[in-house]
Amino acid sequence: MAVVQAILDGLMIGGVYAVISIGLTLVFGVMGIVNFAQAEFLMLGMFVAYYAWAWLGLDPLLAAPLAFAVVFLLGAALQHMLIRRVLKAPEVAQIFLTVGLLIVLENAALLMFGSGFRSVSTPYQTSSLQLGPLFVSVPYLAAFAMSVASGLALWLFLKSSWFGRAMRATAQDPMAARLMGIDADRMHMLAFALGVGLTAFGGAVILPYLTASPTVGTQFAVLMFTVVVLGGLGSVAGAVVGGLAVGIIQSLSALVFPIQLQNLVLFVVFIAVLAFRPKGLLGAAR
Amino acid sequence: MVAPLLQVSGLGKRFGGLQALSDVSLSVAPGEILGLIGPNGAGKTTLFSTLVGLHRPDSGTIRLDGRDLVGLKPHRIAAAGMVKTFQNVALFLDSTVLDNVLTGGLMRHAIPEASELAERCLERVGIGAIAGKLARDLSFPERARVEVARALCTEPRVLLLDEAMAALNHAEMDAFMDLLRQLREEGLTLVVVEHHMRAIMALCDRLVVLNFGQMIATGTPAEIARDPAVIEAYLGRSAA
Amino acid sequence: MSAPSLRQAAGLALLAALAIALPFAFEPRGYGIRILCLALLFAAMAQAWNIVAGLANQISLGHAAFFGIGAYTSTLLLIHFGLTPWLGMMAAAVLGGLAALLISLPTMRLRGHYFALATLAFGEVMRVIGNSWGGLTGGPVGISVPYAKPSLGLMQFADTRASYWLMLGALVVVTVIFVAIKENADAAEVIGVDTTRTKIVAAVISGALTAALGTLYAQFQFFFDPDTVFGVASISVRMAMIAIVGGIGTAAGPILGAFFVIPLEEIANQVFSAQAAGLSQLVFGVLLILVILVEPRGFMAIGPRIRRLLRREER
Repeated sequence: MAVVQAILDGLMIGGVYAVISIGLTLVFGVMGIVNFAQAEFLMLGMFVAYYAWAWLGLDPLLAAPLAFAVVFLLGAALQHMLIRRVLKAPEVAQIFLTVGLLIVLENAALLMFGSGFRSVSTPYQTSSLQLGPLFVSVPYLAAFAMSVASGLALWLFLKSSWFGRAMRATAQDPMAARLMGIDADRMHMLAFALGVGLTAFGGAVILPYLTASPTVGTQFAVLMFTVVVLGGLGSVAGAVVGGLAVGIIQSLSALVFPIQLQNLVLFVVFIAVLAFRPKGLLGAAR
Repeated sequence: MVAPLLQVSGLGKRFGGLQALSDVSLSVAPGEILGLIGPNGAGKTTLFSTLVGLHRPDSGTIRLDGRDLVGLKPHRIAAAGMVKTFQNVALFLDSTVLDNVLTGGLMRHAIPEASELAERCLERVGIGAIAGKLARDLSFPERARVEVARALCTEPRVLLLDEAMAALNHAEMDAFMDLLRQLREEGLTLVVVEHHMRAIMALCDRLVVLNFGQMIATGTPAEIARDPAVIEAYLGRSAA
Repeated sequence: MSAPSLRQAAGLALLAALAIALPFAFEPRGYGIRILCLALLFAAMAQAWNIVAGLANQISLGHAAFFGIGAYTSTLLLIHFGLTPWLGMMAAAVLGGLAALLISLPTMRLRGHYFALATLAFGEVMRVIGNSWGGLTGGPVGISVPYAKPSLGLMQFADTRASYWLMLGALVVVTVIFVAIKENADAAEVIGVDTTRTKIVAAVISGALTAALGTLYAQFQFFFDPDTVFGVASISVRMAMIAIVGGIGTAAGPILGAFFVIPLEEIANQVFSAQAAGLSQLVFGVLLILVILVEPRGFMAIGPRIRRLLRREER
């Protein structure tokens, strides 16, 4: 029964992991680069939500769209000023540009917010619903629901909107897309902004059960990479599958391992996937 | 004399040590079918790429309806009405044929209209039957035709065709040439690169001959066929 | 190896003499010489990283794994068996090389970003193990290297200048190995030898060297913890950044980079640290971004680039 509970918890957390990681896979799919700083945008989303709560009394779940919007704009600016310049550069430049961005964002946050941990308190924070013998934590459930909603919204956007189609064309062949009249640069900017915005959204919805601090990004970084590699870098559906899988793996390993070692299982899974099936479960074209 | 739709003057492009184009000038009247011929490596594809903005010329102007396009990004040149197809075909391999062609229509239309337009373009090029197939699963001749349909879907004013008939047999070529003539009747202007001499001679109103990045002759197909400079450039090459 | 010209040899000899004599200009146990030691050590580390990045053309973000393995191996052998760190360093190198083999075999064929991710995860694996295997490593609290009296045999010195010469020697060794591998790799490509295998060999050597340097670090600082020696920012990225700033793939790059970055870091720490944690790191993030955007090939490329600029203006 503990196992079933763990799987349930894992699924719900996994849904959030999926939304957090979708942005990473979207950026890779459209632009071909791994954004090593992606987890820092999660941290930023958490802080936007935190301050919305501290100053405006907004529940983090309500502040999530605000977190999305703020980080979306920031992402667009960063893509235009920095990322765009290394799209045609060798991989070492691409890797270290985003690594540099990671360092800048984390330390800028340290300077602005101080290193202390911050948590919110919401009325539902410790409540849980009962489903037969199982417990469903309300914050987990709420985060899961918001994640599903935003995931669906993204899916619809990519599949049927004009921008979605233009982005998919750009992802497959930027030059051909340009010749068809699509401004590939603008599509790249949109993809990046959307990607980091979604990750920030995810950060906001998990604030009720986690604490915000400038270093929270490092906790999630390898986790996010595991999700997208497991699911297939570039595949949005893969990020969903990967997210759920990682949630469940993490949850189940918590039953067996002490807290420090839980992520170890994840890292080992990560390396194993990279080594033996780098395309991931739903491997995309790249 | 009608004002030319496309006017290229003194176009030059250098890549490192290689002068790929030097002082290329040509003009295309509206509704004309201009043939661009020359031996391999003469610079024909480079010229096309420069015209649509993939390369920035070192010198010269490219005027479409009087407007200089030099320095504009490719998506703006496409919006202005000049589009090219790729010799090696650059389709969106993970999309269906319809999606590929539809992408061409996105420039000027929302999805519903683009979709209708795409279907019409597919019919015109005669590939309506494969609309649902993935581009990755197509044969090369099929892909070439999707490429043309997609270019048509951008509703261009000038269409640059880079060896679009390379993989066609004689019957298909004749049908394709009929299509091009029909498109011309409907107002499209064409610049065509082909190695099939028969097609070029039959289809084009005028020819421009390139060799080593320079224009060596221009005139009607009959004039070009007799031009000694052209014959010399092609010496040793068999005409299709 | 191609023989250096007489002029080059003379220049190198002069440089060597200066390098050896330099410590005498400093206070024996002072702050200045400690900075020099760190700069030398990180130059050697960046050079070891350079072997994989410059020659195998793969970016590793997890070299801290080997560094930490080295530091812990020699220290634990010293604590539990009284083994001299000189031999402990050899053991460290063996383990470091093995670890590099372990991670390289399945991942060396991966494309750049994937390889970087894999090595990043590997470094984190080691860090997590270091923090949780308290019985072995002492856990997050860290471990102290026992210090009795100054002794060459036990690689511990009162006079920091001795450490300097040790680090200098290490740097020279690593640089020579780098140059040797570079010559070999170039030759191998011409002949058409299986490059994946040569890349793995390069990685193993790099891992072994990095681990040995971890020992030197332990014997210099006398205290360390998993977050420091296995740290992504403190070790992995820092080594890489030094090589990049100086110039990846060149022998002088890591050295130039280290002597720029490490002293700058210290100055920044002095100036900023009182006011704000994170400001000096922020400066480094900005520096890294600037280098990537302006001249990704680092300092080594700046000279030729300026020369080209001047030539272009003459025309």
